[in-house]
Amino acid sequence: MASDKFGRDEWVAQIDARRAAPTGVTGQLLARWNALPLGWRWLGVLAAFAAIPFLTSNDYLIRVAGTVCLFATLSLGLNVVVGYAGLLDLGFVAFYGLGAYAYALLSSGKFDLHWPSWVTLLFIGVLGLAFGVLLGLPSLRLLGDYLAIVTLGFGLVFVQLAITMDRVEVPWHAGPIDVTGGSNGLINLDPLRLFGLDFGEPLTLFGYALSSVALYFYALLAALAVVLLVIYHLNQSRIGRAWRAMREDSLAAEAMGMPTKRLKLLAFACGSAIAGVSGGIFAAWQHSVFPLNFSTDLLITLYAMMVLGGLGSLPGVVIGAGILAVIPELLRSPELARVAFYSAVVLGVALFLRPRRNGLIVLAGVILLGLILRLATQTLWPDLLSPPTITVAAESVSTAFERTAQTFGIIVQKWIILPMEPTPPGNVAFLVLLPALLAWARLQPSRLKLGLLAPLLYLLAFVWETRLTAEPAVTRLLLIGTLLVVLMIFRPHGLLGTKRVELV
Amino acid sequence: MEQFLAQLPQQLINGLTLGSVYALIALGYSMVYGILQLLNFAHGDVYMIGAYIGFGVMTAFLPASGPLPLPALVIILLMFIAAMLGCGLLGIGIEWFAYRPLRNAPRLAPLISALGTSILIQNAVQLTLTAAYHTYRTDKLIPITAGIDLGPARLSAVRALVILSAIVLMIVLTYLVRRTQFGRAMRAVALDREAAAMMGVNVDRIIVLTFFLGSALAGAAGVLNGLVFSRVWHTMGFNAGLKGFTAAVVGGIGNIPGAMLGGMVLGLVESFAVGFISPTFKESITFFALILFLLIRPRGLLGATAVQKV
Amino acid sequence: MALLELVNLHKHFGGLQVVLDLSFEVNPGEIVSLIGPNGAGKTTVFNLITGLYAPDRGDIRFDGKSLLGLEPHQIAKRGIARTFQSLRLFLNMSVIENVMAAAYPRTHANLAQIIFRTPGFRKEETRIRAVAEEKLAFFGERLQGYRFDQPAYSLSYANRRRLEIARAMATEPKLLLLDEPAAGMNPNETLEITEVIGELRTRGGYTILLIEHDMKVVEGISDRVIALDYGEKITEGTYHAVATDKRVIEAYLGRKSAMTK
Repeated sequence: MASDKFGRDEWVAQIDARRAAPTGVTGQLLARWNALPLGWRWLGVLAAFAAIPFLTSNDYLIRVAGTVCLFATLSLGLNVVVGYAGLLDLGFVAFYGLGAYAYALLSSGKFDLHWPSWVTLLFIGVLGLAFGVLLGLPSLRLLGDYLAIVTLGFGLVFVQLAITMDRVEVPWHAGPIDVTGGSNGLINLDPLRLFGLDFGEPLTLFGYALSSVALYFYALLAALAVVLLVIYHLNQSRIGRAWRAMREDSLAAEAMGMPTKRLKLLAFACGSAIAGVSGGIFAAWQHSVFPLNFSTDLLITLYAMMVLGGLGSLPGVVIGAGILAVIPELLRSPELARVAFYSAVVLGVALFLRPRRNGLIVLAGVILLGLILRLATQTLWPDLLSPPTITVAAESVSTAFERTAQTFGIIVQKWIILPMEPTPPGNVAFLVLLPALLAWARLQPSRLKLGLLAPLLYLLAFVWETRLTAEPAVTRLLLIGTLLVVLMIFRPHGLLGTKRVELV
Repeated sequence: MEQFLAQLPQQLINGLTLGSVYALIALGYSMVYGILQLLNFAHGDVYMIGAYIGFGVMTAFLPASGPLPLPALVIILLMFIAAMLGCGLLGIGIEWFAYRPLRNAPRLAPLISALGTSILIQNAVQLTLTAAYHTYRTDKLIPITAGIDLGPARLSAVRALVILSAIVLMIVLTYLVRRTQFGRAMRAVALDREAAAMMGVNVDRIIVLTFFLGSALAGAAGVLNGLVFSRVWHTMGFNAGLKGFTAAVVGGIGNIPGAMLGGMVLGLVESFAVGFISPTFKESITFFALILFLLIRPRGLLGATAVQKV
Repeated sequence: MALLELVNLHKHFGGLQVVLDLSFEVNPGEIVSLIGPNGAGKTTVFNLITGLYAPDRGDIRFDGKSLLGLEPHQIAKRGIARTFQSLRLFLNMSVIENVMAAAYPRTHANLAQIIFRTPGFRKEETRIRAVAEEKLAFFGERLQGYRFDQPAYSLSYANRRRLEIARAMATEPKLLLLDEPAAGMNPNETLEITEVIGELRTRGGYTILLIEHDMKVVEGISDRVIALDYGEKITEGTYHAVATDKRVIEAYLGRKSAMTK
């Protein structure tokens, strides 16, 4: 039939994919990378990660790497529940906490139970599965939004119980029992002891000394690798297909013979088990557990990691976890944070403005604007300005990089208007910046929008210098909040997710 | 048993006071959910901003010492107006920025955007106003001793004010929804957005007005909460928002009288839990009550079952 | 013995009686059409059969056994599959994945086999893929080759309808419920779908119950036609008998039309 000719041109059919693929240098590198088989790509990344303790003996850096692995594992677990099964679980962190507290109670001196690590971890896995099913059961009857609130409540209640269960009255014991240690948590937990190895003690391998931190890093990396493999296998099976089908259209999936209730419970259980076991390893690593380790703060961070990387994309979630786990570390040192901040701004402007010269114009404009304002203030109100608050440390106590960062800081502080009392004007500027940025984001691209970018960036720098460097914890959360909103509006599929089509 | 009966009236009063606050928060949730099927996580933070605005106005008018520059009731009224106006505008801003671009996006997107907005607001407050507690000096406006005795219970003036204000606001809202053109339009949009648009309803404007109303009520709830419970801090919205949503769900989400009823019920349940069982487990008890309720009657007390056309 | 039996089925929603004392049978190997004006309750009948709704009274028997109280996925496993009036594809999944996903009720791999990728698992995956390709091949060249990996949302309307049928076939049913398979199709496509439905019976061996408004399709393939109106069966028989039945004409076109015929 004549109609056979239509729609059979493969080149035409793939035009969307071609349009979406990046071109130029990045495109070619990406194409080369994607040409490698999947297993090799992952092995390469994991091997590179595994080399870290051999490349540096800085325990702090290894600890950060370990945190990245831990958060990546948690985010992957959350991804199973949210990204695959489409269930908005806001109580996920409670399972993490459950696993951690279970380890704290079973492998410590608390109740003098010193269960071997592998037994405890196995038990935690089963416990996670069981509790996942338990929480999942009522969720079956709830609409997505109700589920969100119920799970959120569950998460809150968990923290509450952890804080208040240091005085539990039981009929068979005179006087209250301290179960969870209350807000002081539980400390002095047994270190992980697996395969004849005590993770609390350093190990010498091939003449190379691996600290305890490095050993725990390997434990976390191994956990991440196992979880990746398991999830990948699940994904490429009838269960993965059923989960995705359920997420697309739960009713149709059920009509096609997929037991949606059971599948939802399975997703919950898998996610919870992953969270629980991660919690156990975390507890051993930290030697302690505190209720505030498992706050909503962490939950939001996990969601941000998942969403940034791309819901449903394994490499995406890992990358998202990496980025968002590293940022708070960067924010720890103001000088380092400053370098990162300005680099990010410059990079952002350079990458997102087309044509490229517009980016240069804007940056030049900001610098010029800053100089003019600074000169004006210096001549008219010199008393308002403060000298730079940074000093360059001596060669003996710092690295060259640190000294460069400090010098950069001094230059910036001479360029920006740095008030004597930075907090009040900084706060005002912040309150102006937020709505201004939001309004600007919704403008249609035009000359005006481009022109307004320069003063906005200046304002941003001002707020950064006066307020944000002084409050790293708040800044991190502000960043996460902004990230979540901006991502959802402009790029809901995150960095590596695929664009989805939905019928509303 | 006697102790129970003796305590009952006081717990009832406490419950109604708490319930009034929850009801006002729940109304905003219910209205927005009814119209957009969106869980506005930032709603609790709007409530928090309302408490802060009220505090600001109060502090502006309270002298360090000496008599009040204006009658106490006028100051309280000003606090209300400022908080309700401010929060209403904030609500409009949130809708325009965080939710409108996601009108046709899948359900997950606006929920996550709401989460992000909530974090933003909380931390913006923490950055500019610090994490310190602020305390309402209600005693300077209303003497602590003012009140009436109802048998074994005491109805303080502050609590009476809270309950009365809430009732007044709810009556005004009910009138708005039942008797005005706007109310009809709102109900139409909640039932079928497209059909309402085709009937000439300016859907965007209705949505904006709904957000304004709901947020204004949350702002009022914030002031009321401050007046009776004094403490104001930047994360107070989170818990209150959760409770507000619980109340909305118990009453039947999307249902306005349901939200009021749900709020009262929740307030009473919580007060009873605190008074008769244990204050330490009050969050857990409320939460378990919610789960139980959702299992037995997922559509809430006054909600209607949704029929899905296949 | 009849494959599908509806026995005195009743269903109401609130004050509206959607199905009233409905009884009919579908025998193995038959193609039966369900017709009636909009709102007659035809899709509701499908929903009742597939377990989406529970009837108030009456019974539904498949292969002699009652379907009441079963969940939809269990009914699918028993051998009944359906398509939807307003398409319900898994839009963001690829064409082949849509069909492979529906093979679920005929698969058995458990968690351990999946996680450890046992040979048994691999064999089953190959089989699932083969089944999916075979079902898609039913529709000729349209859903073949590079089309396998395209997301379902990129398909044209007619192809989406075909995909939905292929997906239903992947559950290896005995009975296919097709809800307006020719809706929205041009005359060429309508002709083609009529042929396909016929082939579903001859080559696929399925028994088919379909809802259709396009009388050309109904006339072309039905062994029997059942006419509904306001939830009740008004008549049943060959196409010709039903099409000329006064009550049917009245239901579709009003009393005056019935009188002038």
